[in-house]
This record gives sequence, structure tokens and C-alpha cells, in this order.
Amino acid sequence: MRRPTVLLTGATGAVGADLLQRLARRGDLAVKLLVRRSDRDPVERVRALLDYAEINATIDVIEGDVCAGRGLGASPDALRDLQHTTTHLIHCAGSTSFTLPITAARRANVDGSRNVLDFARDCPALECGAFLSTVYVSGKRCGDFAESDFGDGGLGFVNSYEESKAEMEEMISAAMSELPLILVRLSTVIGDSGTGRVRHFNTIHHAVRLLYSGLAPMIPGDPNEPVDIVSSDFVAEAVLRLVEHAPRPGVYHVAAGRESSSSLGDIIDETMSAIAVHRPQWRKRTIEKPLIVDLDTYELFVKSVEETGNPVLREATRSIRTFAYQLAHPKVFDTDRATAALADDGIAPQQSLDFYPRVVKYCLESNWGTRQC
Amino acid sequence: MSKRYVGIESIAEYLPPRVATVAELGARGLLNRSAVTLRSFGFETVHLAGDESNLDMAIAAAEKLLHETGIDRDEIGMILYAAALNSSSTLWNGNGVSRPGSVLDLGNVHDLFKYPASVLQTRLDLPNAAVVGVNQVGCASIFAALRMARALIATEDSLKAILCVSADKFPADQPRDLAYNLVSDGACAALVRRGAVRNRIVECTQVTKGALWDSDTIENEIIAAYFPTAAALIERTLKKARLTIDDIALVIPHNVSLRSWEILGRLIKCPADRIYTNNISKVGHTIASDNLLNLRHATDAGLVKKGDYMLLFTFGYGSNWASMVVQH
Repeated sequence: MRRPTVLLTGATGAVGADLLQRLARRGDLAVKLLVRRSDRDPVERVRALLDYAEINATIDVIEGDVCAGRGLGASPDALRDLQHTTTHLIHCAGSTSFTLPITAARRANVDGSRNVLDFARDCPALECGAFLSTVYVSGKRCGDFAESDFGDGGLGFVNSYEESKAEMEEMISAAMSELPLILVRLSTVIGDSGTGRVRHFNTIHHAVRLLYSGLAPMIPGDPNEPVDIVSSDFVAEAVLRLVEHAPRPGVYHVAAGRESSSSLGDIIDETMSAIAVHRPQWRKRTIEKPLIVDLDTYELFVKSVEETGNPVLREATRSIRTFAYQLAHPKVFDTDRATAALADDGIAPQQSLDFYPRVVKYCLESNWGTRQC
Repeated sequence: MSKRYVGIESIAEYLPPRVATVAELGARGLLNRSAVTLRSFGFETVHLAGDESNLDMAIAAAEKLLHETGIDRDEIGMILYAAALNSSSTLWNGNGVSRPGSVLDLGNVHDLFKYPASVLQTRLDLPNAAVVGVNQVGCASIFAALRMARALIATEDSLKAILCVSADKFPADQPRDLAYNLVSDGACAALVRRGAVRNRIVECTQVTKGALWDSDTIENEIIAAYFPTAAALIERTLKKARLTIDDIALVIPHNVSLRSWEILGRLIKCPADRIYTNNISKVGHTIASDNLLNLRHATDAGLVKKGDYMLLFTFGYGSNWASMVVQH
């Protein structure tokens, strides 16, 4: 019997790299990575990611690009081999930028996924194909968002990332009747729960930096509403286990959910506390905690900053703006299906505040990724 | 009202008669920002001192006050002269020489010992008034003076009335917009008196963030700190006064951008119609005199009645946030 073969796209990305490290440990797997050529050779890029990693799996790097059509930009031989051997597919590749024009976001997240879906149709041995998505396909909805819910409910999206992912979901869910596919909606991944290590700094980490610098006077939202954040190790474990178990086609939320989320007020308090603990000198700057304000007030502030033309404050408010509007549309992500699918393996999200301070510490010590630590 | 109460019994102002529109300032090269931006922030005109000095404006405001109140000048036991732009609030490099053209570009070291407060005392003919200069608090100088006046009167039996004066003249050739606000010249005088029949000073608070002292190089951090610190201080002031924002009949602001007051009003949950912003467009930001000037105008306009609480708030470079609750 042949070893299961996992095809992973986006292995060099934020989530993909954590998945790769875990897959590499598995001697019972063949792992194939579809990696785009950038300024570095694909093999070199992967090798850099696997430095110091335990490698037991057979790993093949195939140069390609999910946006390059149904053939995924792979050579004919490589493509044929992939089609015949792939038993499990994890599609991570895409853009997580919040600021792309919608056409560019669609190209990365919809067109790329369409190509991977077409590829999956040509994989006779496919047992499970997982397409990674985001819980924020919920857009501007507020309240509970179930795994059976789709899209923004007509309320609109906060950014092009959400919108393009929602469009991708429509396409994938329509194909679930013909293929063993799952959509895995991820919450905001902020770092490793044990070390705080951040592989990919995103807008949350940038917001921490603005708080540290005293350049975030206000944040829209409600201090009592939950903020859903998850650790990268939980996400990697959960995604791999879901793919391996090949559960019923459908949507699975890899999120903190109601039980493990913390309130926005607590997250901000914890940010300030963690900075004060790890940077005692910072206290001297007596930086006030950002105010949590309603969206109208925040908009008024943003408008004022835009009018002043002050480049530093404009950059600060713009970077908060890309994600902060989600805070003004609070919601709770129901995780029933994922919880049930992962329960036997004991995989569950950690309490946000149990690991979040370690992530803040890592941000400080690595100076947001610019210093080795 | 009990004689133990200390209040602001009367207020008088001096605004130079010369008025310039935002457009005129722009045409004369006295704006960093566009006139359009400043108008969108609520500014239309400012007062510009001509030949009047700081001292001239201070004397004019104080004389008007003394005349209006008819107080026995011998009763005034102290002058607290608050000036945001006083030379003493400038960092001296210690060598007796400052940057050419600055206030400490001195030809005669005796100039360092020539104080406007003393001149004010003699010109106003207030022989019993000891003088103290209050500075280094930026636009919050007058708040510091009022707070000290209240404390001194409350603790010294012989001290019954203190004259608080603020006067600032902005350098004539400098752009008038500072941190997105439009600066005006002007002066205000307030008589703080034991047993005052109006404007009892209920509570005064101030917070200083020394880390933000360098207004030139860390302007962004100061602007970012402004709103959360302001909201926190106002909340603290109201709490100390055992009041809520709903108890405040009128907020008496400093004349910074209207937009900033729209935002701060939302943050402290005060409706816009309870913030007296009438003077922002036509007077501009008179450095330290705004709040007293606005208090006088709001009172004259009949916007407050006996017993009403008012909240005064200002910010001064340094960085200082100050607020005060006054009961009319």
C-alpha cells in the first residue's frame, strides 16, 4: 500500500510553514510542496523553513504557481505525478493582504483556488482536499456565525481579503457534492502558544506596535465583546488532523469560539500590561490606554487625521483601519463541528489570554521581526 | 454661599482689534497648512496684536476687570501671572546665549530678571499684591494659576482676593497654525475671591506627561496621547467632584479645532449642544486665555444659570492636560 501523499500549497506562508514543519516529522507521509519561484529558488526557500526541523517524511518541492492555470504551473511530468499520487490536499496559498484591490485579491484567492479545485478533480486517489479560508468571510455580520453560515448576509465586507475568500467558499462548497472537500475557516493566527514566536507579522502585531509607540489613541469596538485569536500551533494541529480524518465535506471553524476568546477590553489591558512587564522603561512614557470607541467616533478621528495630512498618524490609522472595522462588528464563531472532529485527539484552542502575552513579548524582543531572538 | 467657597467672581478679556481671516493669513505666508484644512477644522478669523505687547494686553484685560468689579484694589493680595510663552519656559542652554532671534538672545543679562508680573503690579496700582509667575504649563497656565489661587485663598486667612492674568502674543512672523490649531493673540484676567457669588471652583485636576515635553519632535505622539488622556482626566475630575457628565450644563472648551471637540465630546459622552464652541471660529486659540474668555461669553449670553455646573478643559504643551469643574 502506498504511503499517503499530501500536497501542500503555500508552504512558505504564515500557516503553511507551520503545517510543513509538522508534516516533515511524519515518516509515514510523502509530502509534496508546490512552491512559487520568487527571488529565491523554491528548494532554497523550503530548506530555509526546515532549518533545525525534524525531517522524517519524504519531501518533494515542485516549482509551480496556483495562479498559473489548471496545471498549477508545474511541468507536465510533475503534474501527472501529483495527480496520481495526491491523497490529501491542503490549499494554503493565497493572499492575506487586507489592502489589495478586489481584482488582485480575487486573482490570488479565487482564481488560484479554482485552479486547485480543477486539479483536485483530476486526482483519483484524493481522500480529502482542504481549502483554507477565514472566519471573516462573515464580513460585517454581528453575533453568532455558525459553520453552516456562508458569506456576509448582505451586510458587506470590511476588506477585499474577506470578500475574495467568501467568493472562493461559494465555489468550493458547490463542489463538495462531487469531491471530498472541506473548508477550514481560520481565526486570526497570532503566534506560537508556547514561545510566542510569530512567523508572519500581521495587522494585530502592528497594532501592538502602535500601542507600544503611543500612536493608537483609539480603536473601534466594544470593550466587552470577544476578540477571536488563535495560536499557530493550534491551527496547524487542527488543520492536519481535520485533513487526515477526512471528515464529512463541509465547513470547520478553527477558532477560539465563545469559550476561549477574550474581550477586546481585556486584550488591550493585557497588551499594556505585557509591554510594561517586558519593557519597564516604557512606563516612563505614561502612554494612555487606547480608548475603545464607537465606529462613528473612530471614523471622525480617521477623517481628521486624513485631513491633517500627517503622514505618521495617517499610516497608523490606516493600518488599524484595515482590521479594526471587524472589531466594530463583533461576532462569536461557533465551533461545534470542528470541536467534535478534534475532540478525540484532544486538540482544542488555548485560552487567548494564556498565550497572548507571550506573543507580545516576542514582538518586543524581536522588534517586530527585525531582530533575532 | 459660604465664605469658605472660592470662586471666579469676574472675568475680563482683551482681544486686539486687528482681525485676520484664514485666507489673509495664508496670503501673508502665516500658515503651514492650507486655509481649506483650517476652515474644515472650524477656524475663520484670529486676532493679531499690533504694537501691543503681552504686558499691554495683560494690563488692558486686568484694568477692564478692576473697573467692572469696582473692587478695592488694596483687597487684592496676589497676582498670579500666567503666560504660556514666557521666556522662562524656554530651555536655556546654560551658556547665556540662545539661538539667535529667540527670547533668550540677550544683550543684557539683567533682562533675565525683568518680570512682567512686577510691572503689572505697579501699573495696576495693586500695592498689596505679591506677585508670582506661573509658566511652563503651556496653554494650561491659567488653570494652574486658578488652582493655586483657590488653594492659597483656602489656606491663608489674610488672602481674600487674587488676580489671575494670562496674556500671550504669538511671534508676529511665525505661522499661526500650530498642531492643526489656529493661534490668536489675547489676554484674560480673572478675580478669584473667597466667598465669590459665582463660579465656585469645585475641582481642579492636571496631568503632566513629561515624556512628551518636546512638542517639536514628537508631535505625533502628543496628538495621539491627546484624546485618551483628555477623556481619562475629565472622567477623573468629574469623579472627584462627585458628578457625571450629565450634571454638566455646559462644557467650556479651549478654542482648538472644532473637529477635536466633536471627537472629545463623543468620548466623554457630552452632546455637542452642551459644548460652548461659539468662539472657535471667530476668536481662535488664544493660548492660555480661551477658557476664561469663553466662560465670560457663555455667561453673558445667559447660557448658564445659578447653580449650574460647568466643565473647563484645556491642553498645554509640556505636555499638560487640565480640567476644572466650576459651579455658577
